[in-house]
Amino acid sequence: MASQRFFRPWGFILPGIVLGIITLVVPIVMGFRYSLHRIRLYRLSDQVFVGFQNYMRLFDDPLFMMSVRVTFWFTIGCTILAVVFGLAIAAVMSTRGIRGTGAARFYMAFYLVPFVATQVVVGMLGRLYIWEPEYGMINWIMGLVGMDPVGWLISADTALLATTITNSWRLVPLALLVFYAALATIPDAIVESAEVDGASALTIFFRIKLPMIRFHISFVTLIILTSAFREFDLVYALSGLGPGRSTNVMSMLVYHMGLSTANIGLANAISFIMFGMVAVLAVVYIKAAKLSEMRE
Amino acid sequence: MNTYKLRKARSLAARHAVLGIWLLICIIPLVTLVLASLKPAGLFMTIPEIFSFSGFSLENYGRAWRQGNFPFFLRNSLIIATASLAVVLVVCTPMAYGITRLGSAKMRNFLVFSILSTRFLPYVVLALPMYLIFRVVGLSGTLFGLVLAHLAMQLPFMVWLMLGFFSGVPIEVEESAIIDGCTPFQTFMLISLPMVLPGLNAAAILAFIISYNEFLFAFFLAGYNAQPLTVGIARFVGGGETAAQYGVIAAYGSMIIIPIIIFALVVNRYIVTGMTQGAVKG
Repeated sequence: MASQRFFRPWGFILPGIVLGIITLVVPIVMGFRYSLHRIRLYRLSDQVFVGFQNYMRLFDDPLFMMSVRVTFWFTIGCTILAVVFGLAIAAVMSTRGIRGTGAARFYMAFYLVPFVATQVVVGMLGRLYIWEPEYGMINWIMGLVGMDPVGWLISADTALLATTITNSWRLVPLALLVFYAALATIPDAIVESAEVDGASALTIFFRIKLPMIRFHISFVTLIILTSAFREFDLVYALSGLGPGRSTNVMSMLVYHMGLSTANIGLANAISFIMFGMVAVLAVVYIKAAKLSEMRE
Repeated sequence: MNTYKLRKARSLAARHAVLGIWLLICIIPLVTLVLASLKPAGLFMTIPEIFSFSGFSLENYGRAWRQGNFPFFLRNSLIIATASLAVVLVVCTPMAYGITRLGSAKMRNFLVFSILSTRFLPYVVLALPMYLIFRVVGLSGTLFGLVLAHLAMQLPFMVWLMLGFFSGVPIEVEESAIIDGCTPFQTFMLISLPMVLPGLNAAAILAFIISYNEFLFAFFLAGYNAQPLTVGIARFVGGGETAAQYGVIAAYGSMIIIPIIIFALVVNRYIVTGMTQGAVKG
């Protein structure tokens, strides 16, 4: 980008900054303040400063620790599934003969569907028609190939798995789209010269193409990681807390602690721990990826 | 046909088969929902019953529309999504433009860093304090408050998205516009904005879809009067009198999801542009 700047652009930026302060900075600061107080939802004026007592309480709370574990597996599971499937489909789509054709555009249009589908509706649909033990589609398909039905959402062993798969289904398009766009820009000449040298399709993919799109892979991984980490809509509609609280991800716990149990201070402490986890992840990533090279 | 050609044709067919299967995985669940909604109200049906093309009825839709108070929620959803779109155009786009034209690299990097890092925020971190703040300042249960809350979600994403498009506009073009006597605002409106029109369309479409689909903020903040469709269906499913009316729930869900999916299919090129640009470097 040219180094010469020719006018003061603050007039364009300021309205956004003001709105950003109102909608982002103020809630974060207030949320942190609430997390240091003992506050009940129905007596908001009665706030007692307790320091980090809310945080201390959480680390002794088995419900919270379980929620951290559930969130961890949910987030990791979604990220791996979405990135691996996205990469696999994008790899097939970007091969010669399919890449850039009308067929590819046709596929891509429909591949977007899970991403634009309203999450709450996807959750209901999953609960009533896909994972439902007696009439649902998954158990019906398993029955066709002679497998025993599984309880899925009503069984504490499988509810998290079903929830993870459903959320991954929704996240694959994001990975798929970006990987396809990145893979499609790799010049044919590079692939052809590797073929002449006798490299197999798999070798070309893992040794040549993957390293070339590593930037895209790492950024998409970060987006999917943070997106799965904060997911609320789909989990709420699909499985709720889950049997034995097996799908009680941290976002859900904040909701229940804050608005159902009415313990605002504690709920804000949980959400601040979430904030801290994401902040560490994002800052480490942004530093590592050299921000200055990303948007110039 | 010689073996080489045959192998090539087979390989192409196999790859299309993989892509076709994935296409089915993407759309079959939604097809199930729509077909189930078109069956007469009443009992649960097995998968073969849902997919049998007989006995169609719009009964469920009538019930969902009336019992579920659909028009009320639809109106709120459309207001919120349209307002979000407008905010993106009026606030986020100029902001992204201004940031790319900042003279100080330090300031520019600081703003880009702030935008990017707030993009990854868990929404509950914002929604819970907002719930309390809104109660104090009298914004709870208002559409205005909900649009403000959605802005917290839209602003980082949309500014980031538009940054990528604006940094592709050559600054020399703007310089000559200034020399010809354009004000900065005229330069922005007449020169730079038209050059990023595909990006602008992508941002506006994504903003609308994201706000239309959003549930968490609405669930925390909408009170009664500002509830959009996503909260409407959650309440509808939870309501006692409608429990177990699966067909009606399917109809309600279909009415939410079909318009947005048809819209997305029609404008899919812009969504692809926006999502790709939003995720990678500019």
